[in-house]
Amino acid sequence: MKIFVTGYGLISAIGEGEESLSAFKAMRTGIANGDTESTKAYKLGVVKMSNEELRTKYALHNSGSRTAILGMVAAKKAFEGHKIIKGVKTGLISGTSVGGMDLTEKEHKKYIDGQMISPSAYADHSSGVSSHGIARELGISDFVNTISTACSSANNAIMMGARMIKNGILDRVVVGGTDSLTLFTMNGFRSLMINDSEWCRPFDNSRQGLNLGEGAGFIVLESEKSIAKTNKDPIVELKGWGSTSDAHHQTASSENGYGAQLAMKEALGIANLKPADIDYINAHGTATPNNDLSESHAIKAVFGSSIPAFSSTKAFTGHTLAASGGIEVVFSIMAIKKGLLLPNLNFSTPIEETKLTPQLTYEEGRKINNVLSNSFGFGGNCSSIILGK
Amino acid sequence: MIYSCKIEKGAVFLNGVKQPIGLSNSENWTKELYLELGLNYPKFYKMDDLSKMAILSFTILKDTVDFEKFGEDDVSLIFANSGSSIETDKKFLTSYSENESPSPSLFVYTLPNIMTGELAIFNKWFGENIFIINEKYSPELYLEQINFYFSKGAKACLCGWVENKNSEQDCTMFLMTNDGAKTTEKELLDIYNQ
Amino acid sequence: MTELKEKLKAQIIEQLNLEDLSPVDIKDEMPLFGEDGIGLDSIDALEFIVLLEQNYGITIKDPSEGKEIFQSINSFAEYISKNKA
Repeated sequence: MKIFVTGYGLISAIGEGEESLSAFKAMRTGIANGDTESTKAYKLGVVKMSNEELRTKYALHNSGSRTAILGMVAAKKAFEGHKIIKGVKTGLISGTSVGGMDLTEKEHKKYIDGQMISPSAYADHSSGVSSHGIARELGISDFVNTISTACSSANNAIMMGARMIKNGILDRVVVGGTDSLTLFTMNGFRSLMINDSEWCRPFDNSRQGLNLGEGAGFIVLESEKSIAKTNKDPIVELKGWGSTSDAHHQTASSENGYGAQLAMKEALGIANLKPADIDYINAHGTATPNNDLSESHAIKAVFGSSIPAFSSTKAFTGHTLAASGGIEVVFSIMAIKKGLLLPNLNFSTPIEETKLTPQLTYEEGRKINNVLSNSFGFGGNCSSIILGK
Repeated sequence: MIYSCKIEKGAVFLNGVKQPIGLSNSENWTKELYLELGLNYPKFYKMDDLSKMAILSFTILKDTVDFEKFGEDDVSLIFANSGSSIETDKKFLTSYSENESPSPSLFVYTLPNIMTGELAIFNKWFGENIFIINEKYSPELYLEQINFYFSKGAKACLCGWVENKNSEQDCTMFLMTNDGAKTTEKELLDIYNQ
Repeated sequence: MTELKEKLKAQIIEQLNLEDLSPVDIKDEMPLFGEDGIGLDSIDALEFIVLLEQNYGITIKDPSEGKEIFQSINSFAEYISKNKA
């Protein structure tokens, strides 16, 4: 049984949907220093609209945490032209790591400052609330679920959706991830000392760490049976997926990226493709010293001497955590649909140990048949997916 | 076959039978159980309560199951709860908003799936792991997931509901082996409700 | 120096929740990281950086500096006494 993508949507620091491509083309990052007292020391990939501006611009009926609102924007775009139809069982699976933490922080501050807060102040905190808000916005009620496996959440949501279709539990499912920027995550990554106060430099020898970002990315998966009823055009096929444990450390990847190797191989196996069939890899590439070295080793182990063009798009968007897999799967779909190779910003010198050079320029008019997209999360959760024509 | 273990303040159940382990109702019950089990895993003390409960349950379960027979990627982990990592989240929030020095070791555990990662590290397992946030314990969800993993060749699924929310602390864990045996929603509900 | 070392051991045990250890278990020259010593890991090293800042007013910007400083109680205490504000 084949599973097709029939819609996609994203919002990040470099804009909404296809707007991202002009940023890639111009090699223009969406990352800048924060503009508040508590964020000015950080370089961040912020979506440059307030919650209210987003709700007005995208005519959202529902509200909630920023995580939920960003998710609604991207999922609504992905679901554009889709309708809830009787006989097409439709679900939503969203990945998130912070949920409604942005609202909780505001309420908590009021509480600490001695102000009265409402008894329902924390009602949006739980990760699941954002998913239900997104589902409500789209009118989806057959199945709603939330995955929280850190930065691989969205890829795992995609994988879970694919399996539910394969097993006949759902016909159509909106999958992806969303996360907003919070002091919680900024302080957390600061405590791990893997924030770079300069622009992040994925796969560069001088890389010092990541820049955080926010956003959301969702796609619609459908079975052929569902497409016969919804009449949507298949854009690309979701061909493979794989997820494994790295079994090494709570936050760090193993030196040779063993878990990542297994995930990429598993995805290739399910897609029934050889490494040589992959034309572009959208790498996890967070620009931390540990991830990029480990991922480079893993890519070399899987692809041997003929490594396809690869890049990390995180120097444009920032690392959007649970949303990253959702945003990057949309980039991957655009790459196939429009024959693109996406550039890796801020690179000058290959990593000493692995000597890999990523794709450095934006290229159009390529024949891109299959794309592999990696997302690796804290907890050693490694997930890879493959899309193709 | 299905093997199960449930631990909570004051009680340990293994395969449906209450174990003669004397546990108090104190906040320190996980430490008591660690000492009672004679486990030697110093890292235990550094973990959050979700991970502690998972390691303890697994240690008890391991007594009745021969885990050695499984290869490095044969066992898939399917875990869930409703409160995510809320208790650690609160502590971490205090560490940066009140004490102005965010604690890295707390931040690490502000993700619920670190718990599944700890189980993978403990056993050197490279199989798949997932952490799902759900409103309540759902036998249906586990059965669906188990079917997916079995259909892709997992030899066993280690499943669990590990909750640490307000004063609620408990861990229900069960292992389903892929040998044609069936379980039912009722059986999974009974394991949780014992 | 001896006093500083003893204080440091107690602080380490408290900060890292090393409940199975007491200060006498940590010898001054024992490696703190890796399998030969008391088996601390990279997260513990980051926790040490917080400890230095909170208790001794010393800020470390580059985590890789920690490797040498946190080798043993000896090197740790020496660094503190040299850099204490």
